[in-house]
Amino acid sequence: MRSVLCFGDSNTHGQMPGGTPLDRFGPQQRWPGVMGRELGPGWHIVEEGLSGRTTVRDDPIEGAHKNGRTYLTPCIQSHTILDIVIIMLGTNDLKVRFNQPPSEVAMGLGCLIYDIKELSPGPGGTIPEIMIVAPPPMLDDIKEWESIFKGAQEKSRKLALEFEIIADSLEVHFFDAGSVVACDPRDGFHIGRQAHEDLGVALAREVEAIGWANEHV
Amino acid sequence: MPDMRFAPPNPLRIADRASGLNAVSVRSYNERLLLSLLLQNESISRFEIGVKTGLSAQTVSVLVRSLEQEGLVAKGEAQKERGRVGPPTVPISLNPEGAFSVGVSVGHKHTDVVLIDFVGSVRFHATLPNPAPDQNSNHSDFLETVKKAIELLPGETHQRLAGIGLALPEPGDGAHNDPTPPDLRFSALQEEMENEIGFPVFVQNDITSAAGGESMFGAAKPLSDYLFFYLGAELHSRLILNHQIYYGNSSLSFDVGIASLERCLQDINCPTEPLWDRAGAWPDYGQIKESWETSLVDQMKRSFNALAQFVEIKTIVLSSYAPQDICGAICENLESSLIGVKAIAGIITPSPKAIGAASLPFSSRFMVENKEK
Repeated sequence: MRSVLCFGDSNTHGQMPGGTPLDRFGPQQRWPGVMGRELGPGWHIVEEGLSGRTTVRDDPIEGAHKNGRTYLTPCIQSHTILDIVIIMLGTNDLKVRFNQPPSEVAMGLGCLIYDIKELSPGPGGTIPEIMIVAPPPMLDDIKEWESIFKGAQEKSRKLALEFEIIADSLEVHFFDAGSVVACDPRDGFHIGRQAHEDLGVALAREVEAIGWANEHV
Repeated sequence: MPDMRFAPPNPLRIADRASGLNAVSVRSYNERLLLSLLLQNESISRFEIGVKTGLSAQTVSVLVRSLEQEGLVAKGEAQKERGRVGPPTVPISLNPEGAFSVGVSVGHKHTDVVLIDFVGSVRFHATLPNPAPDQNSNHSDFLETVKKAIELLPGETHQRLAGIGLALPEPGDGAHNDPTPPDLRFSALQEEMENEIGFPVFVQNDITSAAGGESMFGAAKPLSDYLFFYLGAELHSRLILNHQIYYGNSSLSFDVGIASLERCLQDINCPTEPLWDRAGAWPDYGQIKESWETSLVDQMKRSFNALAQFVEIKTIVLSSYAPQDICGAICENLESSLIGVKAIAGIITPSPKAIGAASLPFSSRFMVENKEK
């Protein structure tokens, strides 16, 4: 049995576009569930999606617990042994309160990659496979969230390239979610039911393409 | 001292995001290692690449991604192998349109020019008389033909030309009745082509080129160790061990090739033009051809047996621009008298030397020097 940790924000949590964290797609509909279905019975999927999660930033308004870096270590140690860690974060770092350019968000992701490598939660204390997933770009119309995310739309379109550069530099896997799905127009930055389905399928194919040795049963 | 883990990311490690091929200097050893595997195998999964290179899955992922962006590599459809436990494998292979190369081979009487794609398919082929040593030569004709081949690549694909390979005969090859040694005649050719056409020109011995072509694109692709014969005007040979073509100081060749058959036919006033026609078939030359074939096969057997004292070789590859049925008959003849040896006729047409020459820019620009298995 292989384990995959899906570490993300509201779009991993499965929050419905235009809804609240309580309006959540079902376990089979969220992308981690879809990916698990596609990968088949040999895989154990761990869902760790928190609405509002940032890469490395304590949120002065929503709370320090939104900091992905602080939570990553206990999270990974709770779910060890992990064969692969998939991280899809970055959108929340673009909130006005953080005032960060896309390159700094990518640097934050770099920290998480270093932390995972140091923790080495893979089989036999090895570094697991790490896959950075760039979130799909925000739409221009983000409804009532405009004040919180002012200027984030433009930045969000640059995340994929910055993330790929950091993934290449630190030698980890990379996938651009924007290549298969778009955000839902209901709020402009969450992904809808069909997008969860498409993203889950695409990520399953990416995980398979890494190539895995035959499991000794 | 800042924590260097958090220094700015180093974008030099990723492929240039502009279209076209990366500069030679940017191509890393690991990229070459991966391209070598792809040039030696039809397709291969990322997992197999990791096993064969010792690189981690994450490193392979970065390399494949950058080669995909560069257009050199294409991802295949996932395949579920029957009986295999675990997830399906996703094969990776070269993108045929990813790179192109021109090959020029100066032969006994003719010069061949080809344009091939990244998987060795011939996109253009022309045969013209050899440039003559005097000032009335068809030299400009020759350069025009090379330019015409390159012009077949429209617009942006033009930048995907890896270079021009030039296959030249040994200076001492006896069958050339021209008094000027070919190396003098063509020594300036490389420079002239680079200046006139503007692409790097790679020069190689023509027999080694033919062996390289069969190894990269032909019958010898799956083989690592074999004795290679080239049947041209004369008979030449090369030894290939662990994918490496050995080319010693000796340029020994044997006068049992097509030129010797031509002389026998001329003695009885039999027309010999079909012998040098690349596309055609030989007429029935009857007894003359039979006895020629016997002396040719005898020489090949002598070479093989001499080599067998030192290395155990189980395979012979015969490359030639002679018709397939002629080569096939020679191979059958060899197999019947060398027990336990497999003789394979080369499959590269129309000109193994020119296509081999075209493989040279690929190996120079994309492969590691010691071809890894």
